[in-house]
Amino acid sequence: MTAWINTHLLSFLVFAPILWGLLLMLLPERQAPLVKLLALLGATGVFTVALMHLLRATPDASGILVREWSPWFTAVGLPVDYHLAVDGLNIWLILLTAFLTPLTLLGTWNSLERKAGAAMGLFLVLEGSMLGALVAQDLLLFYVFWEAMLLPMFFLIGLWGGQDRKYAATKFMLFTLAGSLIWLVALLYIATKAGGFSPELMAQAAQGLPFRTQFTLLLAFTLAFAIKVPLFPLHTWLPDAHTEAPTMGSVILAGVLLKLGPYGLLRFALPIFPAAFIVLAKPIAILSVIAIIYGALVAMVQWDIKKLVAYSSVSHMGFVMLGICSMTTLGTQGAMLQMLNHGISTGALFLLVGMIYDRTHTRMIADFGGVATKMPVFSAIFLIITLSSIGLPLTNGFVGEFLILNGAFTSHFAWGRVLAGISTLGILLSAVYMLWMFKRVFWGPANPDGESGTAHISGDLNAREVAVMLPLLVLVFWMGLHPQTFLGHSQPAVEQLLSDAQAPGQRPTVLAAPEPRVSEERR
Amino acid sequence: MSASLFPNAQQLSAVLPLLLPSMAACLLPIAALDKDQSTQKWIRGAMFFIALAAAIGGFFYVTSLWKSGHQPFYGPLRMDRLGQFAAIFVLLTATITILQLWDHLHQEGWVKGETLSLLLMSATGMILFASTTHLLLLFVALELLSVPLYALTATVRTRMEAAEGGMKYFLTGAVASSCFLMGSVLLYGATGTLDFRTMTALSADPIALLGGALLLMGFLFKVSAVPFHQWTPDAYEGAPHPISGFMSVATKGVALIALLRVFPGALSVIPGLAILGTKARLAMAFLALLTMIGGNLTALVQTNVKRMLAYSSISHAGYLLLAFVADTQQAYVGLLYYLVAYMAMNMGAFGLLTAFGLVGDKTTFANLRGLGWKRPGLSIAATLCLLGLAGLPPTAGFFGKYMIFKELIGTGHIGLAVVGVLASLASVYYYLRVPVALFLEKPSESQERDRAEQPDAGAPFAGATVLVCGALVLVAGLLQTLFVDGFAARVVRDWTELGR
Repeated sequence: MTAWINTHLLSFLVFAPILWGLLLMLLPERQAPLVKLLALLGATGVFTVALMHLLRATPDASGILVREWSPWFTAVGLPVDYHLAVDGLNIWLILLTAFLTPLTLLGTWNSLERKAGAAMGLFLVLEGSMLGALVAQDLLLFYVFWEAMLLPMFFLIGLWGGQDRKYAATKFMLFTLAGSLIWLVALLYIATKAGGFSPELMAQAAQGLPFRTQFTLLLAFTLAFAIKVPLFPLHTWLPDAHTEAPTMGSVILAGVLLKLGPYGLLRFALPIFPAAFIVLAKPIAILSVIAIIYGALVAMVQWDIKKLVAYSSVSHMGFVMLGICSMTTLGTQGAMLQMLNHGISTGALFLLVGMIYDRTHTRMIADFGGVATKMPVFSAIFLIITLSSIGLPLTNGFVGEFLILNGAFTSHFAWGRVLAGISTLGILLSAVYMLWMFKRVFWGPANPDGESGTAHISGDLNAREVAVMLPLLVLVFWMGLHPQTFLGHSQPAVEQLLSDAQAPGQRPTVLAAPEPRVSEERR
Repeated sequence: MSASLFPNAQQLSAVLPLLLPSMAACLLPIAALDKDQSTQKWIRGAMFFIALAAAIGGFFYVTSLWKSGHQPFYGPLRMDRLGQFAAIFVLLTATITILQLWDHLHQEGWVKGETLSLLLMSATGMILFASTTHLLLLFVALELLSVPLYALTATVRTRMEAAEGGMKYFLTGAVASSCFLMGSVLLYGATGTLDFRTMTALSADPIALLGGALLLMGFLFKVSAVPFHQWTPDAYEGAPHPISGFMSVATKGVALIALLRVFPGALSVIPGLAILGTKARLAMAFLALLTMIGGNLTALVQTNVKRMLAYSSISHAGYLLLAFVADTQQAYVGLLYYLVAYMAMNMGAFGLLTAFGLVGDKTTFANLRGLGWKRPGLSIAATLCLLGLAGLPPTAGFFGKYMIFKELIGTGHIGLAVVGVLASLASVYYYLRVPVALFLEKPSESQERDRAEQPDAGAPFAGATVLVCGALVLVAGLLQTLFVDGFAARVVRDWTELGR
């Protein structure tokens, strides 16, 4: 088993959760406690394996840490590879996924009233497909995982969600599919030109195309990724999905699913169409800034804590996109870090909101007030996460946003400084909406109406809930104090990416196709 | 040529795939004559057994023929790879249909011998239709496959919808048949031959053109492409569920395979028709566009699952016709692969209704509410089938669409591809309504009461077929190489080698 894991580490990371999750879904409902335990064990196991193997791996000449590569199928002409790899761009996103999954399972241990076992099985399937999308290097393989993520999420929202879950789940599904189906046409177009689905081949083929074609193809690619981010004005599915999703769905949606948008841009869109990307980066940067301000303003007027956090996601993801569009090492590195930050902070916020919802069955800000007196530990943790989400120095949020703004400020765009300046306002606004919400929920008197949520609170966080939050708190400070741990891996990858993009002519030659599978299996 | 009255062994092996189901079809009504109440149960069992044995026996015979690599022929009847593929396809579909019919006819309380007999008769016609290029034989096969289907649609004749659907199907079908016949006559007049293979040196004669167009109409009627689709929803709604599935899968499949034989394109064996190629492709592009848009948009507003599936089958005709627009060998490989996937997906979808025992007017989305939790395995398998129809990876439906669209884009029809994917985006919405109803919606109180009173539908055979179909949708998607290289690509390769 261990030997197999050593040679097929990435396949293990992708398919172990999927198969384990499917198996758990088959177990009867009355075994729910056992199923929960098995799910948690499985998720923890995956995280341990990922942590142990990935951090120990040493990069080869092209910066790849771990790789699995064999032909998948060549049906009807185009060769499609089963090509999985981990490098500086995705290692921390993979670890984040594997890290958040067991925490979320533990954090929502008692939240689901019915069919908890099935939900946790489905959650593991979701984890596996997200990991698959993160490690896939072949675009068709990526596409398959990209679409496969939708189904478990659809059912998580649709089965365990709130009042309007049917609407939210369907909207989520259709929005995402609309982008990815148009992207599929572009993908097939460039693949038939390139004669395969590897990004290197596609990049070569794209250089031979007229600029207008390149730009149109990039638009189709970006549409799919931007919907996932979600970039203003394509964000309208996100608040619905977040509000209706159960806590575990929200955590992983904000924590990982959204990250696949910027990741896809960096991994595929930028290297394949560098020339067109430089042009498209400007309008996207402007949209990102609009998203930053707009998301913050809308978050300010929300009545529902969860919806507030959802809109704050729109704002924070705007920062990520701005960093990528700055096309500078600083900005892109900041975007990489901000993705992790957002995963940690917003994931933690959703977990916290879930914890108080479990006690009071309300999320309306107006129902609360004076929670701090009843739940001191909860309030302290919530405050720290709030500050990290705002981007206070010493916490993770600060480093990411600082790097991004720095990158935008020093970028070649004439408008870069203006955009950076406007975005700074976004940080200010985030302090306004987060602290105002915090004040109304935690301080002051409890809501005098009889329906007050605060009145239903029976006790502070229990040991399980504190145990869930502790690792997140540690990370908040670790990432704030010593971000180099997380930036070190991506530094060479990002530099390589950007230097390739700026000088597309001197791209290294296409890697040789892998040997047939036989040698892989004999090993 | 000293033609003996009796076929020799090689000729017999070409006819046997037709002989097995047709002989069983003749045998079954005799068994059904026994009206004795005490032996009725046994007679029914025996009837289904005979029908199944004929279908499965035929299936295994053709599979062995396939494995041996023989491609026997008997006059204009050519049991080549394409014919064998069609025979395997039809007999497999028929087997699933018979299994589902057992449950469905018991639910309807309408277990009669003629149903199975008609089904096998129609299957015989389908195999014949897909394995000849002789116009006269094609017409005979067309009638042999259609007439039993008209009767099958109206088989539960106490129901209004059945009679209505059967009548509509018959009347429109008769028009299509006469178009087909008229087209054949005109082609004969223009070329002086009835066999496509010997039609040489066809100029752009308006008579030949008109003949070809009329012939195409006959095919497209069976494929149920817009604007020849009007019969489809009514016929599917009226027919027993398994028969609707059989019609949507097998009829469409063999019509496309037969069209493959005579279509003037990449696979054409008829050099004389090449001159019609561009015109035919243009017509196909236009019709595929109409079919995809029309089928998908109309399916959006249906309240009845069967009608939704009928419009979905129309829209799938559109996707499948795209292969003829791309007109490359690989597109046809994709078409054949997609047919296999489509068989599993559609039989699974119709099987769901049978497995839950929803008969009569109970086939609405509202009646599915909350049923998923009653039989989760079955419902998940059916959900897989529907997601396959929607074209979501990693199901076989995705890879089928992928292969066809890839060739479409490769040949430069990007606009058509964009319309195609947008149409399939719309389709996701209506396919999702089934799993939404099954799992996400709660039954109303009156439904809960009704269900508590009624005995469980049981339907073991139909349930099993749905499970098999769901597994096939997944397996054919994950191991597509097996299906493509093993079946579809071999058909196209051998066909082009043989044809030249």
